[in-house]
Amino acid sequence: MLSVAARAGPLAPFVSAAAHAVPGPLRPLVPAAAHREHKVPLDLKRPLLCRESLSGRAARGGLVASASLNAPASVRCVHNDVAVPDFSAYRRQDVQDANASSQGSSDSRKGFSYLMTAATGVATAYVAKNVVTQFISSLSASADVLALSKIEIKLSDIPEGKNMAFKWRGKPLFVRHRTQAEISQEAGVDLSQLRDPQHDLDRVKKPEWVILVGVCTHLGCVPIANSGDFGGYYCPCHGSHYDASGRIRKGPAPLNLEVPTYQFIGDDTVVVG
Amino acid sequence: MVLLRRVYGSLFRRSSTFALSIMLGAVLFERAFDQGADALFEQLNEGKLWKHIKHKYEN
Repeated sequence: MLSVAARAGPLAPFVSAAAHAVPGPLRPLVPAAAHREHKVPLDLKRPLLCRESLSGRAARGGLVASASLNAPASVRCVHNDVAVPDFSAYRRQDVQDANASSQGSSDSRKGFSYLMTAATGVATAYVAKNVVTQFISSLSASADVLALSKIEIKLSDIPEGKNMAFKWRGKPLFVRHRTQAEISQEAGVDLSQLRDPQHDLDRVKKPEWVILVGVCTHLGCVPIANSGDFGGYYCPCHGSHYDASGRIRKGPAPLNLEVPTYQFIGDDTVVVG
Repeated sequence: MVLLRRVYGSLFRRSSTFALSIMLGAVLFERAFDQGADALFEQLNEGKLWKHIKHKYEN
């Protein structure tokens, strides 16, 4: 036993075995008045639970040292002068009484904990959604750019049978005021003969107004209005013929002229874009 | 206490309903919070916003 105490080295003062509460040999730096109520009452008559508690009853004292050939020597100290802190400030109201069962209040305590978790989750979801929305909306075009991307055209300036070109988003925009003869002619075209079959009424909102992006779908030249074999548009670069609805009828272009998104505001105005 | 117990038993006990209640709560909370904040802002800036003086300049 002496050898064990010696093995403890600098810890030797703490290894002092005691079956009863004694002040340690180390003097505190600051002499403080010991609070007797904070001391753990040392119950010498505790039930026999394990070897250490058994040693509490032994006459010889609490220092339990064991040593064997193939295991390191171990020293168990009796920490019977340790004051257990008072955690009651951190405990919920339902579990303050150590003698009462906490099972009955279990669901409501869990309910509170999960409610806090859910509230945190809701706040996190709200913040995350707004951050992501702000970030993505910062990638989209700003309002001044969007305002420049629209063009407003006064339709009464375009006489019947005429085609007018405007500049819209850096591209030519054709607005064509069709005659009744052109409307009926384009409506009667057999779709099976078209390279890019599309009915005339699918390309216009009002049959007398055809609005097209004036870029040839072949290689991007600007077609000439009111020319070509079909009375619509003719691309001078490679000879694509479009009809009065902007559909490709002859030549190398693969697709019809593009129809931009537009809407009529009143009878006299159209907004493209 | 009784309310917490019932909420726990009906919503929070299963992970599926827990997640569902968080999502639903986020939708409702967003609506309530945004509209409440807008209403507060408009109340604090009464008479300064365009929508409050619009009738003077538009017919």
